[in-house]
Amino acid sequence: MSLPLTRKDLMIVNMGPQHPSMHGVLRLIVTLDGEDVIDCEPILGYLHRGMEKIAENRTIIQYLPYVTRWDYLATMFTEAITVNAPEFLENIQIPQRASYIRVIMLELSRIASHLLWLGPFMADLGAQTPFFYIFRERELIYDLFEAATGMRMMHNYFRIGGVAADLPYGWIEKCLDFCDYFLRGVVEYQQLITQNPIFLERVEGVGFISGEEAVNWGLSGPMLRASGIQWDLRKVDPYESYNQFDWKVQWQKEGDSLARYLVRVGEMRESIKIIQQAVEKIPGGPYENLEVRRFKKEKNSEWNDFEYKFLGKKPSPNFELSRQELYVRVEAPKGELGIYLVGDDSLFPWRWKIRPPGFINLQILPQLVKKMKLADIMTILGSIDIIMGEVDR
Amino acid sequence: MQQGWLSNWLVKHEVVHRSLGFDHRGIETLQIKAGDWDSIAVILYVYGYNYLRSQCAYDVAPGGSLASVYHLTRIQYGIDNPEEVCIKVFAQKDNPRIPSVFWIWRSADFQERESYDMVGISYDNHPRLKRILMPESWIGWPLRKDYITPNFYEIQDAH
Repeated sequence: MSLPLTRKDLMIVNMGPQHPSMHGVLRLIVTLDGEDVIDCEPILGYLHRGMEKIAENRTIIQYLPYVTRWDYLATMFTEAITVNAPEFLENIQIPQRASYIRVIMLELSRIASHLLWLGPFMADLGAQTPFFYIFRERELIYDLFEAATGMRMMHNYFRIGGVAADLPYGWIEKCLDFCDYFLRGVVEYQQLITQNPIFLERVEGVGFISGEEAVNWGLSGPMLRASGIQWDLRKVDPYESYNQFDWKVQWQKEGDSLARYLVRVGEMRESIKIIQQAVEKIPGGPYENLEVRRFKKEKNSEWNDFEYKFLGKKPSPNFELSRQELYVRVEAPKGELGIYLVGDDSLFPWRWKIRPPGFINLQILPQLVKKMKLADIMTILGSIDIIMGEVDR
Repeated sequence: MQQGWLSNWLVKHEVVHRSLGFDHRGIETLQIKAGDWDSIAVILYVYGYNYLRSQCAYDVAPGGSLASVYHLTRIQYGIDNPEEVCIKVFAQKDNPRIPSVFWIWRSADFQERESYDMVGISYDNHPRLKRILMPESWIGWPLRKDYITPNFYEIQDAH
């Protein structure tokens, strides 16, 4: 007996840009043979705002409010890279306290980003409950951001040479309270999700990437670490003060969606560890660089030392970028966020190339979903963790 | 100009290139001719640069040439300061053609498409070289310095 054949041609299905599991405005054109995916082509650009073009006629301080719109769930990282690039270019040192405040803010932002990955990822798999749980914790992080920066998402907090404002009175204690509370939250997630047979059925062995493939496709962040490569820029090329804390790189060797889930959940715990240490050890002193390089340094006094006299105020709004170039990067929650900056002895950067992690990680999607079922697209896309704001810029 | 050790290594093996010195972080920068780039890319890959971090294109000067920039890294186990190198390939504006490295480093896929979209460099042998961020019907290369934004009026002319 032959099976009834409903359709003999391949079916082409358009998913998105308004599909709820496309995480924004990604559009996929999927070629299907029944339930099996034959081919998949991502179409980008629905959220393109020309961020690199905008940067070419803004000073850095004018450009800072724009950058939180790249990756709007890990906003601190976009600000960090935007001030790090000119800082490295002009060799500006930042005070220890500012560096610690940055680390605390970055790690809080990493947790917020991973939380808002976890919820939608589980929702993609059909589990709605974690979506509401993660918002409970994420609200607390955003309350902390609001107290320190005045804004919940688009903080505009980092400045060249430091941060815009010091931590308010009592913030440190609230932050420690949050760490204790959140560690219990993570345990709750793990009890709820990690051993869940329905969850494991959906993610185990789905979307496998080998180590060599991951390197060849230029993946970074949890995508790379889930394939057995211990590559974390916080360890590999240390920036800010990450080398002063005791923490471990989270990695797995399986390379499937489950491994990526485990890496991200593990990273949230490590972030809490870093925050706790940073909050314990945070030094006093200025929170922004109160001196510009062009002012003459006092002789015989160590910069940022007890006796050191700060001469000027922080770097001026019309901060000049010299005719040099460099590539700087930070480890954002989604991977390597880099800036290739070419200066031109003017206020505006000659070229401001953004290397967004989501954009590079998304490239492997067509290869991963081939020969899988249609329903696995959501699992795989969810485990890649993209934000269209930074993919399209 | 000071030469880096990769440049010396390439000289020893008679590979044609030109040293551009070091960038601000001390990463060696090499210039390679567009015609040699596909073979030299293979040499660099075999040498061990297995990770293409970023590919970027920019307009060197108004009326000047275009540059395609590759930041390569060598990922190995247990190495803390991995080797990095920056490669620049220049192309003339009237016929900007550079061989694609997609077949060596897959991460060039979207990035070369973006470079094509933004500054209009044609990457030979790229499997799907078409606009990626701008609409397919767009005319012009937005990140070139001589690009004129269509239908853009200054606010003082708006009345």
